[in-house]
Order: sequence, then C-alpha cells, then structure tokens
Amino acid sequence: MKKIISFCLVLTSFMVSFGFVSCSRPKKDPNTITLWHWMTDRDKTFKELAAQYKELTGIDVQIELFAPSDSYTQKVVASAQAKILPDIYGVLDTKETFANFIKYGYIADLTQEFKKNDGEWEKELFTKALDANRFEPGNGYDVPPGIYGVPLDVTNIQMLYNKKLLKKAGYDAPPETYDEFLEMAKALKRIGVPGLVSGWGELWLADCFASNYAFNIMGEEKVMATYRGEVPYTDKDWVRVFQIFKDLVDGDVLVKGVVTKPNKEAEQDFALERAAFAFNGSWSVNVYKEINPDLEYGVILPPAISNKYPMRIWGGAGSNFVISNTSPNKEKAIAFVRWLTSQKQQAYLAEQTRNLPSNKKALSSISKVLEEFAQSMDNTTHPTIWPVNESPVVTEKYTKGLQSIIIGKKSPEEVAKEIQEVKEKEMEKEQRRK
Amino acid sequence: MAKAKIPINRYQVFQSTKYLFIHIFLMSVAATCIFPLFWMVRSALMTKETIFIDKSLFPSALQWGNFVKAWIGGNFGTYFLNSLFYTFSVVVGIVIISSLAAYAFSRLRFPGKDFFFYMFVAAMMIPLPGSFVPLVVLMNKIGLVNTRLGYILCMINVGLSMSILLLKTFFDKMPSDLEDAARIDGCGKIRIWWNVALPLARPAIAVVVIFNSLNVWNEFILANLLLTDDSLMTLQTGLFKFQGPNLADYPVLMAGLTIAAIPIIIIYLFMQKHIIKGLSSGAVVG
Repeated sequence: MKKIISFCLVLTSFMVSFGFVSCSRPKKDPNTITLWHWMTDRDKTFKELAAQYKELTGIDVQIELFAPSDSYTQKVVASAQAKILPDIYGVLDTKETFANFIKYGYIADLTQEFKKNDGEWEKELFTKALDANRFEPGNGYDVPPGIYGVPLDVTNIQMLYNKKLLKKAGYDAPPETYDEFLEMAKALKRIGVPGLVSGWGELWLADCFASNYAFNIMGEEKVMATYRGEVPYTDKDWVRVFQIFKDLVDGDVLVKGVVTKPNKEAEQDFALERAAFAFNGSWSVNVYKEINPDLEYGVILPPAISNKYPMRIWGGAGSNFVISNTSPNKEKAIAFVRWLTSQKQQAYLAEQTRNLPSNKKALSSISKVLEEFAQSMDNTTHPTIWPVNESPVVTEKYTKGLQSIIIGKKSPEEVAKEIQEVKEKEMEKEQRRK
Repeated sequence: MAKAKIPINRYQVFQSTKYLFIHIFLMSVAATCIFPLFWMVRSALMTKETIFIDKSLFPSALQWGNFVKAWIGGNFGTYFLNSLFYTFSVVVGIVIISSLAAYAFSRLRFPGKDFFFYMFVAAMMIPLPGSFVPLVVLMNKIGLVNTRLGYILCMINVGLSMSILLLKTFFDKMPSDLEDAARIDGCGKIRIWWNVALPLARPAIAVVVIFNSLNVWNEFILANLLLTDDSLMTLQTGLFKFQGPNLADYPVLMAGLTIAAIPIIIIYLFMQKHIIKGLSSGAVVG
C-alpha cells in the first residue's frame, strides 16, 4: 500500500509540473481570430472554410466546438462574466439575454457594417433572418436600435408530405386546403398509413402549429390583440384553432403517441415512411437524408382553413453569430463573418450541411426540397420579432391545453376557458405590478 | 416390488424454492443492468441505416469500423489520454488531501475544528452549476482557465467534501491503541498518518478512489466550461461531437460510449471487493 502511494506521489508531482507547464498560455496572435460554435454537424465544414480563408487572407480562424447547445450557452454566459469571450460567438438564449449582452457591451453593433456600400451586405441577406438580430427604435429591451448579429442560415417550419405514400392512396398532388388534407388522411388510413407525425412532445412545436392556424383564421392583428388582453381566448376564432386538434384526433389523423413524441423520434417516423405527413423544420432535410436517402418528399405550407388571412409559418434566422465588442480583432472578425455569409461560401455551406442559406443569392445552388422550403420565407414570422409576446404562464397553459385535447381529456371550449382564466389572472398581476 | 416412498423434506423444498425465487429476482435485476450495456455494444456494431430498422439482438454484419471512426475521427486517442491523466491526478490529489484533512479532523485538536469540518460538509450541499460562473472568473483571475492544472484543482475541490466526510467517519471509529504504540516507537503525526492510519484505511480509500474515479471520468460540464483547446478536452466532451441538435451518428456515438465505459468497468471489477468491504467497514475497522 505504502509503495503504491509513494509511486502515486512521485507520478503526481511529475504530472502536476506537466500541468503547470501547460498553464502558461501563449499570447494572442493578432492574425488569429477565435470562433466558438455549437453546431456539431457543421464543424467540419467551418474548419474547411477557415482553411480556405487562411489561404486567401493569412488570417487564422480557430474554430472551436462546444456541444450540446445548453452547455455552450452556459460557457458563453460564464465567459462573458469572466471577460474571456472569443472574437466570434453565438447567443443561444432568449432575446432578453441577447439584449443584456448588448447592454453590458459584450456584442458589437454591426449596423454601420451592414449599411456600407449602400447597404450591400444587408440586401444580400434574408430580411426575416436579420430581423431576429435587429432592435428597432423603442424596443422594450432599452437596447439602442441597430443590427447586432449575423444570420448564418435561415430556417422555417412547414408541412412535409411523402410522395410515394400519397400516390399509393390515390393522390398525385399534396392537399391545398385543410379539408382536402383531412380527406387525404382518411384515404391514407384506409391503406393503413397514419396521416400526420410531429414532435409534439416538445411543446413549442405544437404551439407553432396552433400559431400558424391562428394567423390564418384571425390574422396577425387579432392574435396580437389577444396577447395584449383585448381579445379573450374564448373568442370563436380561438376555439376554432383548438378545434383543429380535435379534428385531427377525431379523424384519427395523428400518429399514435404524438403528444409525448420528441421531434427526433417523429423525424424517424417520417423518414422510415411510418407517416405520410410531417410538421417539421427545414433542418430535417439533413436528418431525413441521413436516415433514409431514398425518401421522396415535398414541402407545402400547412393547408389553409381560411382564405381571409395568409398562412404564416414560424421561421427566420437559424444560427446567428455575434462579434465580441471587446475583441482586439473586431475588424478582422467582422471581415470573416462577412466572407462567410457571401454567396460562394453560403452555397458551399448549404451543399455540405443541407441548411437554408441566409444569403438570397446562394439559393440558386440548393437542392429542390430546400428550394421548396425557401419559397415560403416571405411567409415566416416568429415570436422573437412580434411586438408583443404572450406571458410564459399563459403559453404553458395553452400548450398543455392542446395536449389535453389530443389525449381527449378536454374539449376545445374547456381549454379556451381555462386559458382565459389564467390570462385574466396574469393581467391582474401585471396591473398590480404597475 | 413396490417402490419405497422417499420422504419429502419440507424444509429443503422451502429452502430450494426460496433460493430459486431469490435467484430469479437477482437475475432479472442483473439483466436490467446489463441490457443497456449490451444494447450499447450491439448498436455500436450497426450501420447508420440499420440502426433504425434492425431490431434484432445481434446485427447480421458487424461494423467494427465504428470503433476506428470514433477513435480516429473523433480524436478519441487524445481525449482518452487526457481523461486518464485528469482522473489519475484528481483521484491521487483527493486521496492525499482528504486523508490528511480527515485524519486531522478526527485526531487533532485545533481552534475552529468543528467549524471547518462543517464548512467542508456544507460545501456538499452547493450544486455544481451554482458555482460555474465564480469558478470561471476565479480561474481566469489566477490564469488557470483553459489549463490542465485549473481543471484538476477544480475537480479536486469538487470531490474533497465527500471524501473527507467518508474518511473522517472511518478514522473516528479506528482504535487509538495502534497510534499510541507508534507514538511510543517515536513516530510523529505525519508518520502515524503514513504508517498506521493510511494502511488501515485501505477499504475506505478504495471507496474514495472508485467514487471519485467515476465522478471525474464521467464529468462533462466543468470540462466544457473551463477548457477551450481541443487538445485539453476529455472523453466525455468528445462524445458530444457525434451528437448534434438535430442529428446524431448513433453507431459511432455508441462505439464512443463503449470505449468510454471500458476503463471504468475495469476499475470497478478490480476494486469491487474493496468497495464492498469499505462500505461495510464501519463495524470491523481496526
């Protein structure tokens, strides 16, 4: 025992001295910039692009991956407080955290960069993607108006359909209306294929589906009026939104267990042809390709119920990078991000990672399915760019209410009433706070 | 000739039935523990396509290449050595510091003894995520962020409280006669700790070693937070490279998990006798 401990002591002193040697950090090279990201599927491509950039400019871009995203967020927050942020990074937290990072001086204002040369850079990128990084005058976060981040790619969430299964059920084209969709689901059921799968175990995805139809049935103004407390959730339009979930259950359209299904599992179901429709985002193109490269599918907007208002889908910026305001290499970091979002690099990223590019010019070189996703970018909206958001407590009640309808525990009317009760309580609390 | 009736020994039947049920129960518990490990190894030997379709227990074609891909493509060689280095350094550090501290808390008299001991015990109540930001700020201030030493010191700190508590409980129950004898032979405090207390505390030290080895080997969050250079990263941080937000390379991920599980299984198999002894040592100490 004593011999073992003596050996360990000698070895440890050697190792600790090794540790001490490794603690002297080299001084930062002015031609080296550091980028922290969380995207495991894009790490290889980023490194390839960084190598190209070094050849072109002599600037060495160190790409450092920290996954998963939760852990990345913790690292960024802790590093901000320790003032050791890299030159380029992403803020994955809420818009409020993003705003706080700006207010405390961790993020550079890129407005002037975007406006240079008659707004050349700004015009190249999708407006909806830039909006997620933009703070308008009079924003509720007290952030000086401007653009503070660069979208690397864009994303949106739509309805996907399996061409082969639809053909098997006797349809050559996807549904254009909600009623047609229900009809198709019935026909699919007759041949033993479930209709729709989605990862509604992740509540935000069910919220997103309901939100699409809320915009379609009552229009954006009325939805926002509800969030402001001017329209009750018991309004007939809201009950109609909740009724959609009841229709899907009554028509046996949904895949079994959809209410607890994580999106990764729902993606497997659609990729392995266990469902004819999926409600999923543009990121899924890469997932389906990996699981079933032969899958034949197309993309449509969720079939509309009403013609009165357009169908609005959730979407906008996918991944964003920001530049550290305290970086001594700020200009070099901006130049690299500018280069990364130019047409050629965006086309390469889209080809390698099968994500929608944020540069509009790069759309010409993407796959057909991605092109179908891109066609609806103008229809996108997102809670982060809405002038008013629903309180988290009401949203929780709302999404849980949707789940209750799917499992047949409550009727749309009951759910509407319960949400309204919570909404009123929240409004009272807000009043008292004021 | 009529067969002679063999008398039934009811006690034996009862005992056999009892053992049968106990064994069935233990076998099912063992199966539930082993099955996830088996499923991990089985999944590591499949392809990206078959892993979603093939539900059989044994894959038809074994893809050993996944292990090579995990080791080389995932840079597991570096991560593996780093994890070994961190685990060894931290565990040795914890054993030395905690045994010295525990011996002092148990045997020496000094002002504030109880206060300091309860401070150590109270430190166990602080959840690790609560100390993330102060740790990173502190490590940065003393220039140890993104260094091996910084991570080792933090991990030693994480494991100290539990180990001190465990060893102090052991030393408290140890009879003082042997120490008195050593003192008569001319041993000082350090020599008594080294020659008497430590050898006797072998079962408790084994428990400290295995618990802390597991803790350091499987630690992920602090490594991801404090370390930045890829060359300093641990095996657990490397595993996440196969798992994206939307996509995971499951067979290679499973191969990586298998590689990561092997050393800790070996340590456990080697030390299981000591662990059981250590956990029940309170009654037989000395």
